[in-house]
Amino acid sequence: MLGWGVEFLRAEMNRLLSLLFHQGVLDEQFLQLQQLQDESSPNFVSEVITIYFHESEKLLRNLRLLLMDKELSDYKKMDIHLNQMMGSSSSIGAKRVRNVCVAFRAASEQNNHAGCLRALELLEHEYCYLKNKLHELFQIEQQRALASGVRYPAQHD
Amino acid sequence: MDALQRAVQPPGAAGYGPHASGRGGADLAVPDQFPAGLRVLVVDDDPICLRVLEQMLRRCAYTVTTCHQATVALNLLREKKGCFDIVLSDVHMPDMDGYKLLEHVGLEMDLPVIMVSGDGSTNAVMRGIRHGACDYLIKPIRPEELQNIWQHVIRKKWNGNKEIEHSGSLEDNDRHKRGSDDADGSAVNEGVEGLMKNQKKRSISKEEDDPELDSDDPATSKKPRVVWSVELHQQFVSAVNQLGIDKAVPKRILELMNVPGLTRENVASHLQKFRLYLKRLSGVAQQQGGMSSSFCGPVEPNIKLGPLGRFDIQAYAASGQIPPQTLAALQSELLGRPTSNLVLPSFDQPTLLQASLQGSKCLPVEHGVAFGQPLIKCPSNVSKQYQQSILSTQDAASGFGPWQATSLSTVGNNNIVAGSSLQSNNSLMDIFQRQQQYQQYQQKQQLQQQQQQQQQQQQQLPQQPLLEPSRLINVQPSCLVVPQSSAGFQAAGSPASVNQSSTYNRSTVIDYSLPSYQGNTASNTGLALDKDLKASGVLSGYSVQGSISPTLSSSSANADSSNSCQLRNPSAKYNIIGQAPGAVSNFCNIQGSYDAKSGEAIDQGPLKNLGFVGKGSGTPSLFTVDEFGPPLKHVYSGKVHLESGASRVKQEPSFDFVDAKVSIPVLEQLSSNDLMSVFTE
Repeated sequence: MLGWGVEFLRAEMNRLLSLLFHQGVLDEQFLQLQQLQDESSPNFVSEVITIYFHESEKLLRNLRLLLMDKELSDYKKMDIHLNQMMGSSSSIGAKRVRNVCVAFRAASEQNNHAGCLRALELLEHEYCYLKNKLHELFQIEQQRALASGVRYPAQHD
Repeated sequence: MDALQRAVQPPGAAGYGPHASGRGGADLAVPDQFPAGLRVLVVDDDPICLRVLEQMLRRCAYTVTTCHQATVALNLLREKKGCFDIVLSDVHMPDMDGYKLLEHVGLEMDLPVIMVSGDGSTNAVMRGIRHGACDYLIKPIRPEELQNIWQHVIRKKWNGNKEIEHSGSLEDNDRHKRGSDDADGSAVNEGVEGLMKNQKKRSISKEEDDPELDSDDPATSKKPRVVWSVELHQQFVSAVNQLGIDKAVPKRILELMNVPGLTRENVASHLQKFRLYLKRLSGVAQQQGGMSSSFCGPVEPNIKLGPLGRFDIQAYAASGQIPPQTLAALQSELLGRPTSNLVLPSFDQPTLLQASLQGSKCLPVEHGVAFGQPLIKCPSNVSKQYQQSILSTQDAASGFGPWQATSLSTVGNNNIVAGSSLQSNNSLMDIFQRQQQYQQYQQKQQLQQQQQQQQQQQQQLPQQPLLEPSRLINVQPSCLVVPQSSAGFQAAGSPASVNQSSTYNRSTVIDYSLPSYQGNTASNTGLALDKDLKASGVLSGYSVQGSISPTLSSSSANADSSNSCQLRNPSAKYNIIGQAPGAVSNFCNIQGSYDAKSGEAIDQGPLKNLGFVGKGSGTPSLFTVDEFGPPLKHVYSGKVHLESGASRVKQEPSFDFVDAKVSIPVLEQLSSNDLMSVFTE
């Protein structure tokens, strides 16, 4: 891997990104995120994404607990979680996750338990896909950084 | 204090080195680095958003402080007052709702707050706006949106300057400090003001068409917009008064108001504005040389309400009750010309402030301020005395003491008059005072007499200055202010009478209700004539429900000569007798007979100031207020006959109050039970 050239890695990143954009997994907000990364915060993107993963998994756990909790789910609480999930997802440009959240919330507002369950499944699926792809992206970026000799701290994502 | 200071001074002074010395002009000529260094506080429970926002704001060269809890943010803001220029707050937060935070910030710091939320529904945005958010950003936030947020800081500052400017124009002390600012600020704000005026006018006309329904406004079919009509506002104030300003929460207020179509958000927003207003008033007061209290608040309302005032004037003119000269004078005032001298200067005087404000904490005072009634202060004092019987005892207590001390010299006198009539109903009294020139009266009986004549229709306003600048000023402001403060209320001075009636109806509510009535009573000037006082039914049981007829207003004019103004409301008659400037004895007789005679009241007091006659649709009421020079004694005897419509219940409360400020005998005389019984009836 170290042998790969910087250019190749950069192209690889672009390819992956364009794929994610094409699939609607990410939107331009993610680019905003990347542009916010600068010398003062060289790991900004991965830092934010790491927090995002952490928070989202917590939210997903809570959502599942709420939905598994019998038929009498606390839809209000669910709404709160979903709002946060929506906010954070849109902030990093996770478009599809956000869209699923919107559908999820719609089901929740209708107290549609079955719809909520389906939405949760979908949300988890989307989230996993996003997470995997972003991991992939970060790995490539890490290699690229190494290859280009930039002394960024190691990224663990 | 700090907040106010910050609002007044250009942001640059505190944080942006380059234009630290710049005054108003600095705003316009944006310094090179201006937005840089803007101190932003970001509050969001979502760490992702928080981090992203922080980074974006840093990119804008702002100084960013982040906070993931609303409560922590609030504490931070409290601890470091003046250390932030603007607040960005998420809407959904577990510990404290973003709107709540917004409310607190607006109330305590008067900082611009931008709401941030992933929920971009019209409802949510509208709610934010209603709560006073200066902007509402929808996640994901884009950097471009953040680059411009400094404008809110400037805008806020300008508005603040403008308000102060207006008040300042009245105040000699502050005036020299802000000379240049004022010019810039007013010019810049001209456009916005115009817009607001239009809106106000629109809402007012709507009100007249349909005083009860705010939500019917066709223009707001999409998002029903509540027009806070006089009646509605009175209900609101009454509810707040009943609950106590500190304990008043939108939900409870809504329950008390019991107005169909009104939402919690409407109330919350209005409450926030109301609190802001109070806050601002108290802040200004503080600023003014440490006087315990200030009337600056009233001044502000005048400025803002300028449009309303103008509207009112027009109405008056239309009714033909106001002579041309008067009209001209009024307009000049409304326009906020400091040069007019008439109204504003009076406020400047610290003494007035003291009288009115002394207890900044006092709710009554604040309310008064909010309504733009300078007189309110006095009422608060009174209320204290009577607290038991009526509304807020605390307020009364706090305000009362100071008032006594200063009562003779200053506004207090004016207040006194109001206080006597209102004691419980501070606001009402205030109104009366203004109209009737009680203020002047209070200060000096001699002056009072003269002033009264002048005051009656504001026509006399020009004269007042001659007598005593300060006193004169007071009177004028009252007239002008009242309408404005009432937020679209037209009532000039006469409304007070109506209010009184309402006040009697409800012990607690009374104070607030007064303002609304004022608007109605404005009929004296001819403004409110058309309106019906309906609010009374709910909030103030006694409130005069009839609409005030123009004829009545004319009668009020008559009162001037005798120093007493008679208000005739078919439903109720009030005789209020007076207060001495020094203090202190206020005698009010309220008789609930149609025949009420102002003469009665007058007899008691050497100085007889107020007489309002309002015609209620159903019943005529007569209000007579007399003021007495004797200090420290307030005697109120009142009978209120309120008849609303044939079907409505008649209430005849009679109150006898004698208060010696020192000895406070009055309180004893007035037993809460009595009052209550009256009300309950």
